[in-house]
Amino acid sequence: MKVITQEALKAWLDRLAGETALFAPRSVDGIVLYRPVSRSGEIVFDYTRPKMSPKEAIFPSTDNIVSFEKHSQDVTLPEPALEKQQVVFGLRPCDAHGINVLDAVFIGREPVDLSYARRREATTLVGLSCPQMWEGCFCTSMGGAPDDPSHMDVLLTAVVGGYTVNAITEKGKALFAGLELSELTGEPPHPTVGETVPVMPVGQWPKRFTDRYWELLAERCIGCRVCTYVCPTCRCFDVRDQVAERRTNYARYDRLRCWDACTGPNYRVTAGGHNPRPTKGARLRNRFFCKFYYMSQDYGPTGCVGCGRCIEACPVNIDIVEVLHDVSKTSVATEVTA
Amino acid sequence: MSQQEQIRAKARELFESKQVECVIGYETGSRGQVRPAFIYGVHDVDRLVWNQGCTHNLTLYLHDKQKPAKKGEPPPRVAIVVKPCDSRDLNVLLAETQIERERVYVIGVACDGIAKGAGFARPSANSNQQPAMQDRCLRCGERVPVVYDVLIGEPPQVDLKDDFADVARLEAMTPAERVAFWLKQYDRCIRCYACRQVCPGCYCNVCMFERDDSLWVGVATGVKEKEFFHLGRAYHLAARCVECNECERVCPMELPLSLLNRKLAKEVLELFRYRAGVEPVKAPLLTMLAEGEEPLI
Repeated sequence: MKVITQEALKAWLDRLAGETALFAPRSVDGIVLYRPVSRSGEIVFDYTRPKMSPKEAIFPSTDNIVSFEKHSQDVTLPEPALEKQQVVFGLRPCDAHGINVLDAVFIGREPVDLSYARRREATTLVGLSCPQMWEGCFCTSMGGAPDDPSHMDVLLTAVVGGYTVNAITEKGKALFAGLELSELTGEPPHPTVGETVPVMPVGQWPKRFTDRYWELLAERCIGCRVCTYVCPTCRCFDVRDQVAERRTNYARYDRLRCWDACTGPNYRVTAGGHNPRPTKGARLRNRFFCKFYYMSQDYGPTGCVGCGRCIEACPVNIDIVEVLHDVSKTSVATEVTA
Repeated sequence: MSQQEQIRAKARELFESKQVECVIGYETGSRGQVRPAFIYGVHDVDRLVWNQGCTHNLTLYLHDKQKPAKKGEPPPRVAIVVKPCDSRDLNVLLAETQIERERVYVIGVACDGIAKGAGFARPSANSNQQPAMQDRCLRCGERVPVVYDVLIGEPPQVDLKDDFADVARLEAMTPAERVAFWLKQYDRCIRCYACRQVCPGCYCNVCMFERDDSLWVGVATGVKEKEFFHLGRAYHLAARCVECNECERVCPMELPLSLLNRKLAKEVLELFRYRAGVEPVKAPLLTMLAEGEEPLI
């Protein structure tokens, strides 16, 4: 396997930042987030998992999917600008796994989602293996691993003196073409593996739908959107038209697609005011059923990659690993019921 | 008896005498984290804990308990564990007729202060060393709840006065610096609404910032929308916020939200000699007066 030195990698990133849009882990007021960077010096190399997943690079929280312009009585639809090529650098194996789940939803079958497809096509994923599994990580229980190259274009792994370069796709190989790389001496490191979490088989989930467990679990849920917004696979959105500009004989309207979350109280409210998920329990249950049942049924992959972000960010300790343990027990409903 | 044992004993007594159907307190959850607990009978009483991880303001959950569990039934009677800071919310919610005093049994806890990082699996909260206190606790002189039916523990002797030093730091900036400071903070807000959802004072069924018709603010996660949301929320909490700091604690992007609320608390204190929830009042400070009606404060 080929190795690139830290210095050569930084030089390569500097050059890349000049040629294309580059997203990479960056410290924003002390919080590591995937953000646009203009040079390698802005990139954090020593991080666990950025607080937000890199889904923002392909599925932004606000996406202007179409604009309408009105000149007097004529309405025109300006052509959307072509997506710029972008490289996401430093994403973790679970993050690439998450993008694969989004791919299944947005472009896995016809009709594809045009906005997502355009950005996805223009994106190259250059990952960085995790040296270990951290608190809350359970990727190995969700079919991943801290050094899993699946769904990446390139995966780098830190070794003494630099990084091994595993260029997997043609896109990835093109990025590293012409670079002088040395040959790895010895074995690449194998990261430590964390605990194994029991994941109930898909077919078992419907039996748990009416458990009182969900209402009891959700009593402490505050109904915010943190778990869904930090999640690399949550992809619900709301679409609304908004006046962007208005003056005499001219107006422009934007159709905005913005992130939405099934945990919010009014997410599922229908015209007329009916809410089919009227309780916190029904809403929180949906989040877990979506991940482990609906997603697999409708699109193929499981909707959880074991990144642990929701565990870290939940203000009231709703812990997806604890939930997976609980639902795997047959008598959980009676154990926690009064 | 430790405070934890006293809380458990009181909870047991309340269930045995059928005074309450639920006790809202704290328990140890996964990864050593303390979290809110809902206890429904004597058999679960020993789940209750009291320690320096008990950071959550549980009065938030009283809103849910104002509704009957089943249609036609009366709402449940509940007991709630409150710290001195949280207890001020009881006065606020009573003045705003959001809760019925006779349906709530208040287990007030004399408080020594809460640890930094409490409520999350962060190293600072779970190390073996004596944890650092939260900033708000280091300036807190109110160690006994303002409302309670039973007081758990001996009030610690502290001689502290809130000098709003945190706000002064902000006030020392020029207006342009302050705008720049806040826009930088709002920029990383993800509009998850955790600050609003965790706030006992934010109980509107439909928040004006989340209306389907986008009447006041658009749906985009833009910095203008976020600025409007945070400033609007702060104004809505003026003379109502009890500075429990939950909004700041839960923010995944670590926005210093308490500074907004503290600035308004300071203004209200200077203008009206009023601090939200410290005393029982018949009506909120900021209210509508009918013609000829005299203010109560």
